[in-house]
Amino acid sequence: MAAFAGRMWMFWAAWLSSCLTVTVAVDRGNFKTCDQSAFCKRQRAMTPGQSPFRALLDTLELSDSRLTLQLINDNNKVRLLLELYRLQGNMTRVKINELKPLKPRYEVPDILVTDPPTEPLSVVSRDENGVVLSLGAEACRLIVSAQPFRLDIMEGPQVLLSLNSRGLLMFEHLRPRKDTQSDPEGSERVEDPANADQPPTEKAPDEENAKEDESGMWDETFKSHTDSKPNGPSSIGLDFSLPGVEHVYGIPEHADDLKLKTTDGGDPYRLYNLDVFQYELYNPMALYGAVPVLLSHSPQRTMGIFWLNAAETWVDISSNTAGKTVFGKMLDYVQGASETPQTDVRWMSESGIIDVFIMLGPKPADVFSQYASLTGTQSFPPLSALGYHQCRWNYNDQEDVRAVDAGLDEHDIPYDFIWLDIEHTDGKRYFTWDSSKFSQPREMLQGLMDKKRKMVAIVDPHIKVDSGYKIHNEIRAKDFYIKNKDGADYEGWCWPGSAGYPDFTRPDMRAWWASMFAYDQYEGSMENLYTWNDMNEPSVFNGPEVTMHKDAIHQGAWEHRDVHNLYGFYVQMATAEGLIQRSGGVERPFVLTRAFFAGSQRLGAVWTGDNAAEWGHLKISIPMCLSLGLVGISFCGADVGGFFKAPSTELLVRWYQTGAYQPFFRAHAHVDTPRREPWLFGPENTAVIREAIRQRYGLLPYWYQLFYHAHRTGQPIMRPLWVEYPEDAATFTMDDQFLLGRDLLVHPVTEEGARGVTAYLPGRGEVWYDIHTFQKHNGAQNLYIPVTISSIPVFQRGGSIIPRKLRIRRSTSCMENDPYTLFVALSPQRTAVGELYIDDGHTFAYKENKFIHRQLTFANNTLISRNLVPDSSFSTASWIERVLIIGAHKPSKVTLRTADGAESPLEFEFDATSSVLTIRKPGVNAGADWMMVLH
Amino acid sequence: MVLFKEVLLPKCNESGGSSGYLPLALIMQYHIVVAVAICSAVFVDSRKIRGISLAYRKFYKEKKTFLCLDGSKIIPFDQVNDDYCDCLDGSDEPGTAACLNGRFYCTNLGFRPCYIQSSRVNDGICDCCDGSDEHDKRTRCPNTCRNLGQQERAALEAEMRAVDDGMHLKRQLIKEGVSMWQEKQNQLKDLQRILSGLQTKLEAHRKRKLEADAHQAKVMGVLKSPGDGAGGKTAARIFGQLDINKDGSLTVDEVQAGVVNLQDDRSLTEEEVTALLGGPGPADLFRFQQTLWRSLQAAKKVKIKADLRGDLGPPNEGPATRAAPSAARQGEANLKEMEEALETTRAEIGNLEKVLSTDYGSSREFLYLQGQCFQLVVYEYTYSLCPFSHVTQKSSTGAEVSLGKWRYWAGPQEHPYSRMEFEDGAPCWQGPPRTTLVTLTCGTETALKRVREPTKCQYIMELWTPSACEQQREARRRGVHSEL
Repeated sequence: MAAFAGRMWMFWAAWLSSCLTVTVAVDRGNFKTCDQSAFCKRQRAMTPGQSPFRALLDTLELSDSRLTLQLINDNNKVRLLLELYRLQGNMTRVKINELKPLKPRYEVPDILVTDPPTEPLSVVSRDENGVVLSLGAEACRLIVSAQPFRLDIMEGPQVLLSLNSRGLLMFEHLRPRKDTQSDPEGSERVEDPANADQPPTEKAPDEENAKEDESGMWDETFKSHTDSKPNGPSSIGLDFSLPGVEHVYGIPEHADDLKLKTTDGGDPYRLYNLDVFQYELYNPMALYGAVPVLLSHSPQRTMGIFWLNAAETWVDISSNTAGKTVFGKMLDYVQGASETPQTDVRWMSESGIIDVFIMLGPKPADVFSQYASLTGTQSFPPLSALGYHQCRWNYNDQEDVRAVDAGLDEHDIPYDFIWLDIEHTDGKRYFTWDSSKFSQPREMLQGLMDKKRKMVAIVDPHIKVDSGYKIHNEIRAKDFYIKNKDGADYEGWCWPGSAGYPDFTRPDMRAWWASMFAYDQYEGSMENLYTWNDMNEPSVFNGPEVTMHKDAIHQGAWEHRDVHNLYGFYVQMATAEGLIQRSGGVERPFVLTRAFFAGSQRLGAVWTGDNAAEWGHLKISIPMCLSLGLVGISFCGADVGGFFKAPSTELLVRWYQTGAYQPFFRAHAHVDTPRREPWLFGPENTAVIREAIRQRYGLLPYWYQLFYHAHRTGQPIMRPLWVEYPEDAATFTMDDQFLLGRDLLVHPVTEEGARGVTAYLPGRGEVWYDIHTFQKHNGAQNLYIPVTISSIPVFQRGGSIIPRKLRIRRSTSCMENDPYTLFVALSPQRTAVGELYIDDGHTFAYKENKFIHRQLTFANNTLISRNLVPDSSFSTASWIERVLIIGAHKPSKVTLRTADGAESPLEFEFDATSSVLTIRKPGVNAGADWMMVLH
Repeated sequence: MVLFKEVLLPKCNESGGSSGYLPLALIMQYHIVVAVAICSAVFVDSRKIRGISLAYRKFYKEKKTFLCLDGSKIIPFDQVNDDYCDCLDGSDEPGTAACLNGRFYCTNLGFRPCYIQSSRVNDGICDCCDGSDEHDKRTRCPNTCRNLGQQERAALEAEMRAVDDGMHLKRQLIKEGVSMWQEKQNQLKDLQRILSGLQTKLEAHRKRKLEADAHQAKVMGVLKSPGDGAGGKTAARIFGQLDINKDGSLTVDEVQAGVVNLQDDRSLTEEEVTALLGGPGPADLFRFQQTLWRSLQAAKKVKIKADLRGDLGPPNEGPATRAAPSAARQGEANLKEMEEALETTRAEIGNLEKVLSTDYGSSREFLYLQGQCFQLVVYEYTYSLCPFSHVTQKSSTGAEVSLGKWRYWAGPQEHPYSRMEFEDGAPCWQGPPRTTLVTLTCGTETALKRVREPTKCQYIMELWTPSACEQQREARRRGVHSEL
């Protein structure tokens, strides 16, 4: 209630004293620029041209699966070890570490799903300045040049990608501290056995000391926080050149366009998981999550670079064509004066090693499977998680939950999950319930279960320091908390006040955390209660940049610096594991996270954090989720309506319409904003919102099938157009529309007061059908579509078959046994293909072939359903209710032949104006073989 | 083409009577439904008439064809309730979930009949209390109608009694209101009488003083200076006022008694007075006019004491009278008391007029709430509602916050006295001022029953009061009659 404002005041005042009004945007001063991040500044100060590194070819060792080679820094004689692997599936892995580091450098564990299988490397030729290696049969070569050191990957005469071609490889070797006053051991550096075989540095020690002091190598202060940096400088950096490439994508999370911009003259894109209060749009600032994967694309080839490093990372992008106008480029082309377009990418990380996976494509789908083979695929969520989620900070008490549930029913709006934010707990002690507002959680959950609905309650990783709190006591007793630099439990300020942060990098900690979700541990929980991990960057209100001090210590004496971007990943991992375990491994988990890393796709859903009720934020939700999809994380969504501030009715409606066509569909709102449940804006708007949500539920069979594919293959669900039309340059920068799978094109209305939108329908020789009117449009054109407040421009690709369930009910499980309607959209060749995937919707039984997967094809006026899983052991009550053939001619009759050979006529209607043939009630089971012929 | 009239049936989840309007008809209709159901059971069969109310059965008579109820289409009768939606209006599938816009009729024998959306048929959730919506046998629904009916009848009867009791109380409250109103009116009249009495007395008092002053001035032989008529006269009057012992000269004491510092009403020191009088010793009218009078006129430093201003001098005292200074002060005090009484009376009248100008309902049935406060503890907060005045919230830590001041009745046109709006409470952190909406519900006691804050700083309270009870109306009948 209102005293909440008082409590809010307390902690907000603590960390945001300069940010007092809800309407202002991010306080940039709270977050570092590259210049303020000492290692980034040092790395960036290094200019192209003079790589000090030389490959020592006589150290080359080639085993069946890997090549090793030493590199020497001619300036300081420090040696590095280069490892090269040729990986299965057209990938190359490049690892660079110190040959003999003073102490081990962090190598990121748990992200790769397996040790990537290798394939033999062979030396094709070598001379005194290089080695040529074969990367398999496709005329693919890896060339190692000795001086200056560089790597080039070639296909035939084409350079696909070069490493250190600009000479920006930088590897700050670990060194003892030289200034003896603060570290008496520093003077022993010369005797250090690890470096005994290396000549001492050439520069005078004093000189170097002075330089080091300047550059913040041994400590660094930002605002009131000092990072003690006991290990000194440890950063790494490397450049990649991509000849022929003008478009690069990925490295989320940034609130920016889909196509990455050049960073010349500004800050690099930053990857450092941060709780950014009221983030700004269109800039490279770090946000809640980090996936260090960049995709390059040209009409000829798509490739990917996966920089496996969990420390603070910055990425510079430059291009030789940036800034040239289209006319300028054309002129270059006509005059033949053009240099090849090229994009250069430079990665810089604060610690760890260089461990890069180069995914050579060549097609977008290849890159997705290559990356999926490394970090895994999208988890297969329970079907219900694809429904509509009703959330708010906060639903105040059980009565409020009941009333919202009833309100949605009264207005006939389907939903599957209602959410509880932090106020449901007893004083922000997660795993507990407020004893008066949520005194009977099981009763509440049972009430939802009776309606076949579910709930999500928040569980954040910060744990209230309170000796009366079981979770805290156990973590302390087991010594599971992260330590501060002095060895005591790290304490920071967060929602509950003073809080400890469990060390989720510890497997034993994660196992214990998972066990806390057992029904007998998590009091008041039931099987329809799922979990939301927020604040897991981790957010520390009084920490540097609102996160943890980098010199905090994790298990194995690793600094937080080394593992920072992994923290949120591990929190979600432990939570998802808990949800699996509590059901005895039977049920699929559903966990939403705000922070994420490469591999987070395996664990659940991600949302774009605390956005705002502004049109710009609605618009940016598309490129933000597209970028995540490109790097494996398909289950993405933005807070519908915008978290901060109150949306106008029009914005709210448009957001529902957009969100209904994005993978994770949840309305959410800040505690200070007025209520905005869908029925509060008058009957007309309620109707429009209801219709958007109904469209979502109708298409759930298609969504579910897309998730199944994403889970099996790693292909994104929400796709930029270029993924399916890689040669169509018109699509390369498009991010106001997108594809769902291959077959649906969505161009949501994201402009205030829009009277129309211009959608680009790709594919020369293809056709697209408006899913609402069935009007046919040719591909490869810009189409102006007049819109009203109820319009959601969506098109089905001619040549596709999409199953839908048109009996929209209160929740997904209410629709379980409902029949399907098949929407067969004919190509100009009068063919179409599609699929139908059905399983129980919530368990792992699909892993034992307990699912139905059928291929649907239409050709020669015949629609056939074929089994794709011969040993399928699942049956369904669902049947085929109706078939719509869009773009059809009127047949004289339609017959159905079932598996037993029986043939029967079917009734149909033909609408000549829309060319839609509706075949009435085939009635066959959705899992059966059948064939339908138009005569 | 519309073939049928929309019949108003309650939705299934709608609760029985809501306070104030008791559906008398309801009680009766249970019995009617029972009778009807027994009759119809004789010729009823099968899925074909599933989900159809009795009134509609006539449209679903077994024939070769079926005309969609909106007249849009004729379909074979076989296709009625065959789990495929043929009619645009959904009328061919009253018993299945096939039509998105269809509706299913729950007969609910023993309880009240109602419609549910077709989408709730065979969805695994029991919606009709007779379980008829889950006819695909996947979900077993117990028939709870008899229990519900009993419960509801009991509840309705209890509520009816409560409303009756409430109405009874309300009539008393109205009666009380009438006498209270009368009382207040009388009070007002009394006060007004007192006021006019006081005014007359005061007037007389002042008049006498004026006369006395004029007389004194004459006696004193003070002549007004030429061209300074009014000023001289006024100066003489003020002089007379200040000259308490009426000896024709002002002493320091006398000035101190009547003149104060302009800024802070502080009394003047002897030095200040000496300076103001242009020298030591008593000052006569002439000297007064040259010195202190000018200071008073300039209104820079000093002024006449508030209680002397407007006073035209002590009554009944000629210059020849040499009344003791104490007697003079006594007169001043009486005057002061009289003026205070006048002010108090005026304020009381003002308040009473305000109270009497407030709208207390068509029969002033809410007048009794005036001046009362009602409290409720919710979690760690104590809420206090003072109708026609203000609302507050006090936290267990002690801080009291205003949740709004009385603004107006905010009910809909039909029931203007069903809601009270309080606005302009303490502002929220980063937000607008707090507001409170009070809904009034019929009850046999007057009590604050519920407080919610659905959106931060927007409070909703429920106040029970007999005055919100309304005569049971026939309007809430539940449809069955129209089907017979």
